[in-house]
Amino acid sequence: MISWLRHQKYALTAALYRLRMQPVSSLLTALAMGVAISLPGGLYLSLANLGQVAGKLPAQPEISLFLDTLASDTHRQAVATRLKQPDIAEAYFVPKDQALAALISSQGLTDIAAGLTQNPLPDAWVVRPQLSSREELARVAHDLAKLPGVAETHLDSLWAERLQAGLSIGRASVWLLAGLFAIALIAISGNAIRAQVLARRDEILVSRLIGATDRHIRRPFLYLGALQGLLGGLAAIGVLAIAGTILRQPVSHLADLYGSSFQLIPPSPLEIATVLVLTTISGWFGAWLTVTRALHQVETAH
Amino acid sequence: MIQFSEVTKRYPGGHEALSSATFSIEQGELVFLTGHSGAGKSTLLKLIAAIERPTSGVVSVNGQNVGRLPQRAIPYLRRNIGLVFQDHKLLFDRNVMENVVLPLDIAGFDRRESLKRARAVIDKVGLLNREKANPISLSGGEQQRLCIARALVSRPALLLADEPTGNLDPGYAADIMSMFRDFHQVGTTLVIATHDERAITALGGRTLHLDHGRIAEATT
Repeated sequence: MISWLRHQKYALTAALYRLRMQPVSSLLTALAMGVAISLPGGLYLSLANLGQVAGKLPAQPEISLFLDTLASDTHRQAVATRLKQPDIAEAYFVPKDQALAALISSQGLTDIAAGLTQNPLPDAWVVRPQLSSREELARVAHDLAKLPGVAETHLDSLWAERLQAGLSIGRASVWLLAGLFAIALIAISGNAIRAQVLARRDEILVSRLIGATDRHIRRPFLYLGALQGLLGGLAAIGVLAIAGTILRQPVSHLADLYGSSFQLIPPSPLEIATVLVLTTISGWFGAWLTVTRALHQVETAH
Repeated sequence: MIQFSEVTKRYPGGHEALSSATFSIEQGELVFLTGHSGAGKSTLLKLIAAIERPTSGVVSVNGQNVGRLPQRAIPYLRRNIGLVFQDHKLLFDRNVMENVVLPLDIAGFDRRESLKRARAVIDKVGLLNREKANPISLSGGEQQRLCIARALVSRPALLLADEPTGNLDPGYAADIMSMFRDFHQVGTTLVIATHDERAITALGGRTLHLDHGRIAEATT
């Protein structure tokens, strides 16, 4: 066990040493990995931000609630009370006269309106529920429709569904891209490690002659791959941080124009940790895939 | 300690480097391998360290059939054998100390203990003041002594040396040979392939003469 730990420590030290000995090529590899990973990472962050924007838009999904023309005052009062409950974010009353006036002015229906003997429109409420998920909207609309004195509710959820559909395509693309770029990452790491193995031919041959096992020879390269992956992940986060800094000003300007206080959200520590762990594993895996083959090449070249 | 029975080594292409060699070397012996270049001296040493496998016959070291040893067991065999090469096979990307400590790192020794042992053996070969130097800055004789230090640091019971004085001035060569005599005196088994007739007469010991892959015992 102690000997095992010693071997790990030795391999890690050797890997760090090799990384330090070739700062430029290590840096370039890390940058290549970083750029590759920043693409799905950036898309993921954009979607997270877009979702946030969708949640804060003034044009929230709304439920239109139409009262029965014959509804009693008690029923009207009961509806008003129900709309003060916590699952409703906002509700405002639209009297039928106001609705008619709005209709006439916006649609240019003055002639038709003049022919009406009485207002055919019902009194209405425009209701914005607290939560904007599809299920929640449907539940609240259904709930309200059952109240006495309510003629019908109309749920304007089409745009919300479209947004959801759009976001889910976006999320699927994130995973697709992440998968593709993970493969690229493994290839980049494998290639870097292969070059390292061939560059350290002499050391490998001498180590074999003085009793090194293949596992001992392989281990520093695996650590090297993992470290390269980790550096690549850090580079990706650096790329995204720079992109975020550049975009912050224009985004908040645009938000201002819409009268919103929206700010770009940075990734959470958990998301950062996930990226670093995944890139480290990819780097290790790329090294593992190539190192055995490369060691064999060294042997036969000898 | 080492037994060869009817050992033949034929390289791809048909060249027969060793033909039906049979001999044995006891523990603690000092044996010189002589013969013209290409006579099979290097091949014989490589067969002992399992760097090559015999085409036929049995090579046994410490009772183990080395020619039939599975690949994964070979590193453990080599840890008990010190190898000294004519071309030194030093690593020029690290200093003298790091070169010597390499076999101990490979065997998984405690680092502090390793450094202590390495320093002792570097002292023994007279390179203590060059501990931090890069081997490329050492003279041929110093490089050879460094190679010997690396071979000895894991305290092997068997030391194989292939032309250890091949490229050296006579003064350096005598140095190295007297070092080998010291190891012989503390009980290490030594097999040394060499042309150096003077060394053989100076150190005494047994001589195996190789001629075109055939072995002949000679006493001096």
